[in-house]
Parts: sequence; structure tokens; C-alpha cells
Amino acid sequence: MIRTFLRQETTLSRFLGVVVLTAVTLAITIVLPPVADSELAGGAAIAIVILGLSWLIGWSGQISLGNSGFMAVGAYAAGIWAHHHATTPLIFTLFLATVAGAISGLIIAIPSTRLRGPYLAGMTLAFSAAVTPIAQNFTSVTGGEGGLFMNSLATPGWFGHFFSGPNATINANAQWTADLAVFVAGITFFFMANLFHSRTGRAMRLVRDNDVAAELMGVNLSRTRSLAFMIAAAYAGLGGALYSLLQASVRPETFPLTLSITLLTLMVLGGIGTLSGAVIGGIIFSFSANLVAHVNSLTGVNPTSNLGANMQGIIFGALLILTMLFVPRGLVSIKTPVRRLFRSRHQVVEAGEVH
Amino acid sequence: MFTKARRPLTLISALVLSLAGLSTGLLASNAGAAGSTPGVTSNSITIGATVPLSGIAVSYAPVSAAANAVFKWVDSHGGINGRQIKYIRLDDCYGLASYGLGCTAGASVTTLSQNQVLVAQDHVFATVGSLGTAAEESVESYLKQNDVPQLFVNSGSKAWDDPSKYPDLFGFQTSYNAEGKIFAHYIKTHLAGKTVGFIGQNDDFGANGFLGLQDGGINIASANHLSYNAADAITGSSSDIQADVGTLAQNKVQVVVLDSVPGFTAGILEVAKALGYSPTWIISNVGADPTSVDQPSEAGAITLDYFPSATDTGDQWIPWIRQVLTADKADFPKFNASSVLTGNELYGVGYAVAFAETLKAEGRNVTRAGFVKTLESAKLSDPAITPLQYSGSNHQGLQGGVIAKIAANGSSAPVLANLTNTTVFTTGNSASSPLAQSPKLTISPIPSWLK
Repeated sequence: MIRTFLRQETTLSRFLGVVVLTAVTLAITIVLPPVADSELAGGAAIAIVILGLSWLIGWSGQISLGNSGFMAVGAYAAGIWAHHHATTPLIFTLFLATVAGAISGLIIAIPSTRLRGPYLAGMTLAFSAAVTPIAQNFTSVTGGEGGLFMNSLATPGWFGHFFSGPNATINANAQWTADLAVFVAGITFFFMANLFHSRTGRAMRLVRDNDVAAELMGVNLSRTRSLAFMIAAAYAGLGGALYSLLQASVRPETFPLTLSITLLTLMVLGGIGTLSGAVIGGIIFSFSANLVAHVNSLTGVNPTSNLGANMQGIIFGALLILTMLFVPRGLVSIKTPVRRLFRSRHQVVEAGEVH
Repeated sequence: MFTKARRPLTLISALVLSLAGLSTGLLASNAGAAGSTPGVTSNSITIGATVPLSGIAVSYAPVSAAANAVFKWVDSHGGINGRQIKYIRLDDCYGLASYGLGCTAGASVTTLSQNQVLVAQDHVFATVGSLGTAAEESVESYLKQNDVPQLFVNSGSKAWDDPSKYPDLFGFQTSYNAEGKIFAHYIKTHLAGKTVGFIGQNDDFGANGFLGLQDGGINIASANHLSYNAADAITGSSSDIQADVGTLAQNKVQVVVLDSVPGFTAGILEVAKALGYSPTWIISNVGADPTSVDQPSEAGAITLDYFPSATDTGDQWIPWIRQVLTADKADFPKFNASSVLTGNELYGVGYAVAFAETLKAEGRNVTRAGFVKTLESAKLSDPAITPLQYSGSNHQGLQGGVIAKIAANGSSAPVLANLTNTTVFTTGNSASSPLAQSPKLTISPIPSWLK
């Protein structure tokens, strides 16, 4: 399958594109204050999950409310491993989480391929709802409600040398985690960019738009749908593990049902089925605390009052309605002056716009 | 070819850049302290805490408010060694921020992210009185990595007493283990022969408390050893406590020990009342505050008290604390001479006084290492009933307390009544550590500079 992606003639350009983007973001982390770096790191992890969800919904046409569950599977796989083997290289822990996510996705996919629309949503919802109590009650393995605690991601010595001054350690730690998360996100975005344009990607779109036609063309429906689920779950597993490693803990509360809904909201806000949509979703997540604080201070609402405590729901809800009304394809389709400035002369067909 | 990828990519870059610019503007304003010790300048010291100011554990909000009142009082009396104390409190919703739904903070907020704000943006000298067992355990490693002392954690977990691994981590209150052992003694003395059940929070709070009861010699059948998940309050299910109380009622358990936060204590009492089930309740100090629980059926319950009773007029700390809270109009706008002092307020005053005293003893030259050393050796005068004494090998804090009974108060919320007697129990965390009794309270006097 990987061979199929690499044979695409645009692989190199996509590679370069992602490298440039990742490099730009890494450069930005140098300028950002440490707190924003930490926020960006969390957003990068969430962007990975959103991208997987975006692929599932935008490209294969299957709805999942179970992504918080897949995140939990990846996070617990990484957490349980890292809790007992503190010296394991990070790349192995993340790989383990990705595989665990993929397996859970496959297990859910097998019955799911028979279900469509709201029935599928209901089934994934059940999975997501089941994960938290399982994590809470298998205390000996998962640490129960208190969860498992890991060491903070260690900043390598060579990286620390770039920093000086009274807050050198703090700045180095914050930037290292941000760079690490952005780098991992870059790899997953490159992979997905290729997947979009691969044979699998095209088959996926066909299955989404007309499954009868797809079957006539020789596409194996249930296999294609299962694959879509597996990839989305692998992304969620990786994102969940990365998010938990950044938090230095895995707790059941990190993966409530509301997370699945938040992920869906962020994906729709950014734009379904696009790379940039996932990036926007991740950025909104990253800086949501600033956004809420800003709106609270603008409106003079006491942040700890009942209204203030629900301000994020209000903001996200309003944003979602406005997006649906004016840019139903997500913020990614807003025609900004910046975009016009860089617009290519060629007619461009954007991923997810093909119908 | 290349153009296919270019359009979204340029857009992404533009967005990332513009948002990055925005956040830089928002956040870079606070440059932090210039001195060699973070948070310490020639005329101020900045400390912080992550506490629940919204969400399920919001009833603890007065704790840090009371601490802030003490710091304001100190500041208005000239500060300490020429420095004003700035106390930054950030809301982390008891570590259950649940992606900003029903909590002050935004989707990205966790206990760790709020500690990152305190450490990397506000450059606090230390965190003081941050609250929550699991929440604070989740930031131990981050604070250690960045050399930030984690002082007077508001939780009775024994996790805070681990000086070899976390030399800058200090607890404050009597541990849940010690509390469990004292409850076990009470049960054996006053409720001998009765069946005992237990409902605890499904983290170290419940686990340590249960261990204490066991170490104290109380046998609880596994069918009567139950727990609840605090996150249920967010997911909207109360099935845990309903099933738990139902089980105990069915098994006709006569004494029920609760290691629960006030919101769940209230829920448990309510379910029991609906079932017509009225065992003898023994409630952990952190979940018993009658003002927070606000359930008439709490009257008669037994709890452990480690601060002077609010109604004890003989204690010289009480009028002083009233004065301090009355002076802080921002945190306590409605507090007046007739207001009932709550356990939460006494607790906040307790750790704030301990911090102020240590800072005073540390002198003009304040460093993190020096502060920790001073704290390990200082003899602190504190409103607490038992002496507050740390050492190089003991970072737990208070070691015991007195048994108190919750009393009815007409039709309004019950109050913490006078102590059943003045016997002070003290003990350590381990099973082998003996339970000591002293017949009289030894409350230390208020240091004269604090008045």
C-alpha cells in the first residue's frame, strides 16, 4: 500500500510542502512565549486526531462519535507502557499507541461496516461511552480514576544548550515539547496528504458518493470502510498518546464523551476532509483558553460565574452556527485577502470538494 | 502538480503565522522577574495555585480565598521582610476541566496547562495550596523538572510525603491514612461490634483512607467497600453513589465511612435519606464541611477536625481570622461579624500563615532551596489543633486532629459543633506508626508580628 502512495507523482511536492510548513511552525515556536508553546503542543496532538476524524467523515463518509475512545486506547497503551518502562524511546511508545489505536479501530469497524448514518454514530457513541468506565474500574491496570502518572518529556541536553538566562530550563522544556509535537504532526500530515491522493483515497471517495458504483468498479466495500476506520483510529491513538505524554498523565477524565463532540465541532469549524481544516481545528483548540478569557473580559462576565463557566460552549456553539450559515465548508474556505494574494493561476480542485 | 498542495499550505502558513502573532501579543506581555530567584523581586514575591473556582469541587473555592485574605492582611501591614505577597489563583476545575464544558477555562485547560501558565508566564516562586489529589499528582513531575517548590498541597494523600523523590513537595493536612486510623480507633471505642461500610473516591483519596481504616484494625467486607468516580458529575451519571448507598442499605451496614468531596457527600446523604437509610456517618474532614454539604441529615455525623472549632470563643485565632476575612472585601464581600467561619476558611488561613511564617524566618535573602530548608526546620505557629512540623524526612504536615460531631442548626445547614472532647490524636502514615493521644489541645499563639 505504501508503495502505491510513493508512486504518486506529487509525493515529492507534498513532502516539500509539509517540510516547509513544519519548518515554519517550528520557527514560530522559537518566537512564541513558553506558555503558547505548550498550548501549541496540545493543539498539534489534537490536530492529528482531527485529521483522522476528518479523513473518516470527509473521505469515507462514515460518522464516528468514538474518537475520544480511540484516543483513550492509544493513551492508555502509551501510558501503561511508559509507566512501567520509563526509559523506552518515545518513538516506540508512540508507535505502540498507534498500533493499539488501529487494532481498536479494526475491532469497531467489523460490526460498523454493516451500519450507516445514525446507527453507525450510535454504535461509536456506545464505544466512546464505554471506555471511560472501563478505565475507571480496572484500577490495577489503569490506576482507576486517579490514572497513571509519567515523567514529563525530558528535554535532551543538546537542545537545552540553545537557551540561556534565568528561565532557560522552562523555555527549553516548553519549546522542546512543542517542537516534538509539531514534528510528529508533520509526519502524520504528510502521510495523510499522500493518502488523500492515493488509490485508497480515490476508492474511499467513490464508496462515500456511490457505493453501488464503487462495487461495480471492483472496490471491496467492507474492506475499504474498515480500512478508513482503522486509519482514523490509528491517528486518534497516536494523537491521544501524544496528548497524554504532554500532560504527563493518563486519566479517564481526559477522554469523556464531550471530547468526541469537541473534536467533531473543531473539525467542522476548520473544514471537513482537508489538511488545513485539521490545522485550524488544532489551533482553535490550542488557544481556546485565551479565546474564552478574552471574551469573558470583553463582556465583563465573571469567569467563575455560571455563565462564565459555560462561555466556551456558547462561543463554540455560536461559531458553529455562523460557520454553517456562511462557510459551510469550514473556515478553510474563507476567501481571505492573503489567500487571494497567493492564489495559483491554475484551477485547483481541493480535497473534499469533489462530488 | 505542486499547485495542488500549495493553496491549502499557504493558507495554513498564513493562519499559523497570524495566530502565532496574536498569541505572542496576548502572552508575551509578562516578562517575569529579573532577579536570580524566580518570582522574587526587591519588593514582592509572587506565588500561585491551581484550585477549583468552578465545576464539581467549587465548594472548595473559599479555601484559597481565605489564604489570599491572609496575604492581603500581611501586605497591608507592611509585607514580609519588605516584600508584598502576590497570590495568583487559577481555575483548573479540580483537574476535571472536561474540555471547557461547565468550567471557567477553555478546552485546552488542564491542571498541567494552568501550572505552565504559573511557572512559565507568571514565574511564580512556588505553588502554594494547590488543590486535588489526582490533579496535583499530575503536575509533580513538571514542577520538579522546572525546580518549582510545590508547597502545602491541599489534599491528604500520602503522596506528598516523598522527600527522596520530590524534595520540594510538601503536604499540609492530616493524611487520609492517619485520618482513617483515627476513625478506626473511634469505631473500636464507641461503635464496637457494628458492621462498617466504606464509600471512597476512586483515586488515592479513597485508597489511602481505606488503608488507614484497615491499618487501624477495622475489617470491612469487600461487598461493603465501595467507590464512586468524581468524573461522573461531568458525564451526568450518579449511578455509582445510588448503587453504592443501595448496597450498604441492603446489607444493613450500621456505620458508613465516607472519603468523598462535599458534592458527593451531599449526594450520598440525599440518596440515603430517600431510601430511609440512616447509619452512623463518619465523614473525612475534606468532605464534611456542613456549609458546603448543606444537608440537614448530616447532623450527628462524626468527622475529624484539625482546626479550632469556629464556635470556640476561647481560641485567640478565631477573632483574628474574622478580622482578616472581614478586611478582604474582594474575596469575602458578605463576611461580617455574625458569619459562620467554615472549615474551608480555617484551612486556607492555616497554610497561608505557615507560608508567611516560613518566609519571615527565611529573612531578606529568599531562595527556593533556602525556603525548603527553613520549612523543614522551622517551628511554625499555626491555627491548627496539632503542631505543624516538617523535617527532612517528613513532608506530610499535620499529623492528627480531634473527633468532632456535626450538630443540627434549626432548619438551615448544620454546623460543626464543639468537639466531642479535647483528646488530640496523632499518628503517622504507616501501619506500624502508633496512635498517640494527648488530653488537651495545644494551639500555638498568634505570632505578634502577624497581629
